[in-house]
This record gives sequence, structure tokens and C-alpha cells, in this order.
Amino acid sequence: MIFRKSTKKRIFLSLWILSFIIVLGVLLYCLYLSILIDTRFSGRRWSIPSKVYSDSTLLFPGQPVNRALLINKLRRLEYRNVSHAPESSGEMQILGSSMEVFLRDVEMLAKKQKGYHAQIAFRNQEIESIIRKDNGEKLPLLELEPEKIMLFFGPERQQRQLVSIDRAPKYLIHAVLAAEDNRFFEHHGFDFRSILRAIYINIRHGMIRQGGSTLTQQLAKSYFLTPERTFARKIKELLMALTMELKYRKQEIFEIYLNEIYLGQKGSVSINGVGEAAFFYFGKPVENLSLAEAATIAGLVKSPGLYSPYVSEAKSREQRNKVLHDMEKLGYITKKQMDGAAAEPVKTVGFMAYGKKAPYFVDYVSKQLPTLYSPNVLSSQGLSIYTTVDTQVQEAAENALERGLARLENAYPALRRSHPERKLQGAIIVMQPKTGYILAMVGGRDYSTTQFNRATQARRQPGSAIKPFVYLTGLDQFTPATVLSNEQRTYEVNGKSWKPHGKSSDSGKGIRMRDALARSDNLATVDLAMKVGLDRLVDTVKAFQFSTPVKPQPSLALGAYEVIPLELARAYCTFASDGLEPYPLSLKTLVDENGNILEQRHMTIQNVISPAKAYVISDMLRSVVTEGTAKSVKNMGITFPVAGKTGTTNDYRDAWFVGYTPDLLILVWVGFDNGESVSAEGAVAALPIWADLVRAIPQYISGEWFKVPPGVVMVKICSQSGQLATESKCPEPIEEVFLEGNVPIEYCQIPEHKAYSGEVLKTWWKKLWKR
Amino acid sequence: MNGKKLQALVSYVMCLFMSGCAAVAPAPSKHPPRTVSDAKIEKKELREGKPRPREVASLHLTEQGQMLLESGKVDEAIGVLERAVNIYPANGKNYYYLAEAWLRKGNVTQAREWNRLAGMYLAGDGEWSPRVYEQRGRINVHSR
Repeated sequence: MIFRKSTKKRIFLSLWILSFIIVLGVLLYCLYLSILIDTRFSGRRWSIPSKVYSDSTLLFPGQPVNRALLINKLRRLEYRNVSHAPESSGEMQILGSSMEVFLRDVEMLAKKQKGYHAQIAFRNQEIESIIRKDNGEKLPLLELEPEKIMLFFGPERQQRQLVSIDRAPKYLIHAVLAAEDNRFFEHHGFDFRSILRAIYINIRHGMIRQGGSTLTQQLAKSYFLTPERTFARKIKELLMALTMELKYRKQEIFEIYLNEIYLGQKGSVSINGVGEAAFFYFGKPVENLSLAEAATIAGLVKSPGLYSPYVSEAKSREQRNKVLHDMEKLGYITKKQMDGAAAEPVKTVGFMAYGKKAPYFVDYVSKQLPTLYSPNVLSSQGLSIYTTVDTQVQEAAENALERGLARLENAYPALRRSHPERKLQGAIIVMQPKTGYILAMVGGRDYSTTQFNRATQARRQPGSAIKPFVYLTGLDQFTPATVLSNEQRTYEVNGKSWKPHGKSSDSGKGIRMRDALARSDNLATVDLAMKVGLDRLVDTVKAFQFSTPVKPQPSLALGAYEVIPLELARAYCTFASDGLEPYPLSLKTLVDENGNILEQRHMTIQNVISPAKAYVISDMLRSVVTEGTAKSVKNMGITFPVAGKTGTTNDYRDAWFVGYTPDLLILVWVGFDNGESVSAEGAVAALPIWADLVRAIPQYISGEWFKVPPGVVMVKICSQSGQLATESKCPEPIEEVFLEGNVPIEYCQIPEHKAYSGEVLKTWWKKLWKR
Repeated sequence: MNGKKLQALVSYVMCLFMSGCAAVAPAPSKHPPRTVSDAKIEKKELREGKPRPREVASLHLTEQGQMLLESGKVDEAIGVLERAVNIYPANGKNYYYLAEAWLRKGNVTQAREWNRLAGMYLAGDGEWSPRVYEQRGRINVHSR
């Protein structure tokens, strides 16, 4: 007996100790879980991808407009086209000669703008008027919000918009409770009744129809645990749910759940939380969801892949009505409300899968982000990156390049390559010359094939596109009217003889500087370069801040050295901006998720040449387009004044055209990555792409020419001698621009044009009185 | 010497005189920045003279930039004025306010460049030319 008693006692004691150890172990484990949960909840709860935005779009009366691009823009901004007048923000109606848009509320940096209903009327491809519909006010300017062009996703590729429980409508809360855990506010993280009910229902139907997990368990599962189904994981899930319930209020747990749940798929990106789902399925903020829409979203929790209205409208509707029925049964809604909502169709807004728009531009911007913002930070901290890109221009540039290269391949079948990485390539840069804003950047034909950015990373010879810098160097000594030698000759440079390639029309007769540049005359250009000196030419090129090395060699005058296309575009901007070279601006502002500005960049300019010289060069480059190598542009629908320069390198390896107006500068390059010949000059390969693009973006073309700056004078000269024209003697007198202080003083010396001294006096007298 | 040249010379001499002083802070402006109501009147005048649509839109932004500048939001003002320049590069008033903004940020080099452009685009404008000269004087004082 004594033995039995002591054995029993020992067993009891052992069991007691074992239980104590188990309980202690569980408590310690719960403590560990508590720390884990605390760490997660007190830190960042979710990774929010950073977003890259375009610039906002300005519309104003009198502005020419490409309506197709504008409508595309509004679609990308997720304005829904409706058949009635817009009633709520995010709606638009496209009519014959007008469109109505209900703008969204915009809160960006220091700017807050309440959304309103606007009518934009068009006349002859121009905006005729912009009227605010609520008060009839005529608006001088309308600003469309920036467009999201890229999201920096982390490896989990989740997208969510956080909502607080106070913003979520009652309908939605009740719908989620009815669908998933109607006793949520009664249990403590684990609901025995739910489990029994689930077992009963599953046995009755002979299949798994209902789970017994509470919302807290679901949250623990999705937030902390891996998806495998093991007993140990179930225990862990249960303990975690109990710990969460002990530490946090029900409201807090419910709010986290609403923001965490997986509710669908947008391409490769998962939609998490009701905030993002409300926009993804119904295009509205969560607080504006109707009862039927709220029930649809709640119905998705079970299986978004099965019940998504984008997958099956019928199944989605069936599941929604089941939720509505449960809501009515639980007393959350009346039968009338249920019937009304159940009769509604499931109307979704449609979506555009996330794609990287302007990919080369975004890469260029990303590289400028300070090292402080690592990929990990960018994919988690919800930063907003505002840029200068205009997605309408970007779209037009991408289309123009693709069309242009395809056209070339059709015209020259030898340019076709079957291997995608060896195909004919191109690059386009669109800038606003005064401010350096980069409006568009296309770094290649297909980003998915090759991410090498030919606009910013390629080093190519500019060929004749460098010539304006040679002529600029010559402006101190010579004038556009100076006659240069275009004789074929051999030069002695550093003890070596060098003979420039190239022909010249009317070789040997001499050619005025303006004409030499317009016709891209190699012989005359080399003559000028040798006259001004190669060292001075190098100084000029260096002043424009090219990063590539430049040496004083005679072939420099013909562009036989490498440049980066963006740097060439930037240098040309100087001619279009009164001699001030802008810094190419792409990243404007970096803002954290609370709206605090982390970084702000402005345009910066540097004086490189005088406004007068910039004007004279622009005026000379206008001749390239009116009568020189780019004159074919007139047949391409370009009727406004343009300055530009073609460029072609040896063996046609590179084809360039850089063209600008006071408002816009566009550089186009065409070539093969491996330096094979494109078999065409800049005027044939690059110019049509330029013209195609310019025609597509009339909103950036004012049609005006540059204002004549101080220090520039117009004088009538003889077109043959380049000297002052003698009235009635010189057969083709023309107006020419000169730098003040560098005006020809001699009258025409061609014997047949020489005037009698009396006539010269007469002219002088007349001029004196004109003054 | 015509009236304009004389006016310019007098302004220049005044600037030189003022810049010769040892003051560290800029001298108080003889021509305080124009008020928003002035700009509104100007826009009305423009409307009556059928200005270019770009000019009107640009001036609207100039007004916004000026207001931001007056309320001390210099960076925001520069952002708006940059857009105004992009819409209509010949609007010299934008350059004046950009110079003003950069001066407030203490970047004399940028202020000087914008002031130079303002001088070029507002040359012959009886009301604005003296302002531009006066601003140039303040920039010179700052650069010492």
C-alpha cells in the first residue's frame, strides 16, 4: 500500500512538474511571440512601395492639343469614361467638340486642390475654353494631377492603400464580420463554437465548406506565418492569436486585418487591404463603397482567385449575395436592403496592369536618387518621387521612334536583323531648353530586350551635329557672311598631313559661313576650324561641359570624337536659351509618406555664351531647315520656324537630328549598337522621326521665333561677296544677322557690283536720315 | 541722349552708389515687389489687348509664384515659376521673380543670371526696367 501510495504520489508529482514545465514553456513562448508581435506592430506594419510620378499636366485656353494623347492620359490617370455628365470625381465624358472631367482632389506638396467638374471645349485642334461647371467660371489654367509611372515593389510585390477603421463604412465592417467571423467582438482569438460549427457543416456537406479560424487567427497566419499546413503551425497560430488578443484592442486587430487581407491580383502585383481593393475593383475610396460593393469585397476574402469579378462576374455575384444574406440573417441589414443590393449588377472599373512607363527615364531618375535610398527603402517606405516627364510626350516619342525605325527597315531591308539584341536602335531626348526639364527620354527600341540607355550611356560620334560649335567659335573673328574656302586641300597639323573627307557643292568657289553650316560643308568647316585654331575649338567644346575627352585634332571639326546624346542635347539647349546652359532636370521632389520634402531640385543655369551669339547661331541653324540639309522637313508638315542640325558619321554609323524652337528641343539618334552602317544620312534616318514626334505634341509648339537680343544687328549684304550690298548693283542682296561690332564695313568688291562713289554717298545719306 | 538712355544711366549710377555702401543686408527696395492686385490688372490689360494664350497662362502662374514668394514658400515659388517659363519663355516677369527667389535662397550666381534675362526680356518696359535695375543692385550688394 505504502509502495502504491508513494508511486501514485510520485506520478502525480511528475505530472504536476511536467504540466508546470509545459505551461511555463507555453508562457515563455507566448512572451517571445508577444515581443515578436510588438516589434512588428510598433515598427512599420507594411511595406509600401515608393511611387514615381510624372509632372502635372497644364491645360489652358488657346493651347493646341492632341486629343488622342490627352484622352490616353486621362485613361492612364484612371478617369472612367461615363455616358452621362460626370457626377463624381474620377469620371469623364468624351463628347464631339468637348469633354467633361470631374477632377479628383489633389494634395501634392504645398498644393491642395479640391476636385471639381470642368468642361473643356475644343475648336480646330485647340482648347477653346475651360469652364468650371459648378459656378460657370472661365478658367485660365487647368492642372491634371501627376501620373503614377512606376512603383518600386519589394520582392513580395504587394500594393495597398492604408485605411483607418473610422473611414471604413459600417456596411463593409459588417460584411467582413458576416463573411468571416461574426463573433469576432465576443471571442478572445479562438472560437470553439465556430470550430464545432465548421466541423458540423463540413461533415454535412461531405467537403470542406467552412473554416473555423477567427479573424485574429487569419491575421496571425497571413502576417507572421508561412502557408504550410502542419499541426505545429496550427498551435503556433492559435498561441499567436491569443497573444494578439491579450495585447491589442479588438478595434486595432480589426483595422490591421482590413489592411492586410489579400483581395486579388493586378498582373504580377497582389492587391492587399480593402483600401486598395476599393480602387482596384470599383475605382473609388473605401468610404464611398455601396452596400453591394462592400459585400463583394468581403466575399473575396475566401478566395479572390475564384470570386474576383474580373475572373467571373457570376461567381462574384453569387458570393456577394451569400454575404448579403448572412448580413441580413445577423441583423446588420434589413431584408429590403438585402434585396436591393442583391439585385445590383457587379460593376467594375477595369484596370491597367502595372507596367514600367518611360522605363529608360525611370532608370535615369533612380540612378540620381541619393545612395541613402536603397532599393530596400524604396520598396518599403512609400516615398513619392516627382519628376519632369510628360507622359504624353513620352508616349509620342516612343511611338515616333518605333514607327521611324520600322519605316527605315522597310525602306532598307539590309538594316533588318533577326536577333532582337542586334536590331537597329535609336534614342530620343525631349527637353525644355530654358529650364532643362526632360519631358521624355527613349533610350532604345525595346526596354525588355536591352536596358542599355542610349540617351545617357551611349558614346557616339556626333558627326556634323558638332558643327554649330565650330561656327560658334568662329563668331569672334568672322560673321555669317564671311566667305570660307571650300577648296579640297591638305592641312599640316603637328607635322602630319591631313586631308578632310567630303565634297562641297561649288567646290573652290568659296561659300558664306551661313550656307556652309546649312549645307554641312565639310571643307569649309575645316577651313574655319583651322583659321580659328584647334585649341580654341577645344575650349569651346569644353565650355559646354561635355564629359567625354576632347583633343585638338582637325577631325574634331567634323565630329570625329564621342559624345553622350544627353550632353549634346544639353549643349544645344544653350543656343535656344539665350546662351544659358541648363542642367538637365528629371527629378524634382522626393517626399516621404507623411508629405515631408526630403529632397527638392530646381533648374540651374550657367552662362556659357552671350545671348547675341546664341541668337546668331540659332538664326544660322534656321537656314539648315529652310534651305540646307534638313529642308525636307517642310514636306513633313513642319510649318513653324525651327533651328536644327543634321549629323552623319563616317560610313553612316550614326544618324542625328537635333531641332529646336524657343519652347522645345528634340534630339534623335539612329544607329546600331555595334557600329554597323545605317546606310542613311541624318536627314533621312533621324529627321522624319523628329518631325513625326513634333507633329504629335502641338501643345509644346508656340510657333514663335526667338526675340532678338541686344548686340545683334541686321544688315543688307551681297549674297555673293558677303560684303555690304550696293543698292541697285548687287543682284541678290539679303538681310544678314551680325554681332554688333562685327558688322562688315566694306561695300561689295565684286567689280560688276561696285557702285560709283556718288551712289555709296547717296546710300549713306539715306541711312543717316533713316536713323 | 534720349530719355530712356538717361533713365538707365541714372539708375545705373544709383545702383553703383548704393552698392558702394558697406551695408551687409540688401538696401530696402525702392520698387517693392508688385502686389498680386497689380498683376491682376496687368492680366486684364493683356486680355483687352488680345495677348497670346500662352502668355496669359504663363502670367497666371507668375501670379501664383509671386504669391508663394510673398508667403515665404521660396522653393514652391521656384517650382511654379519654372513651369511659367516653360509655357512662355518670353515672359520676362518670371525671370525677375526667379532672380528674387534665388536671391532669397542666397544663391547670388543664379539670381544674377535670371536678373540678366529679366533685363533682356523687360528692356523697354518703363515700369519693369527700373525694378530689374534695382534688383541688380541688391544682387550686387549680396555678392559682396
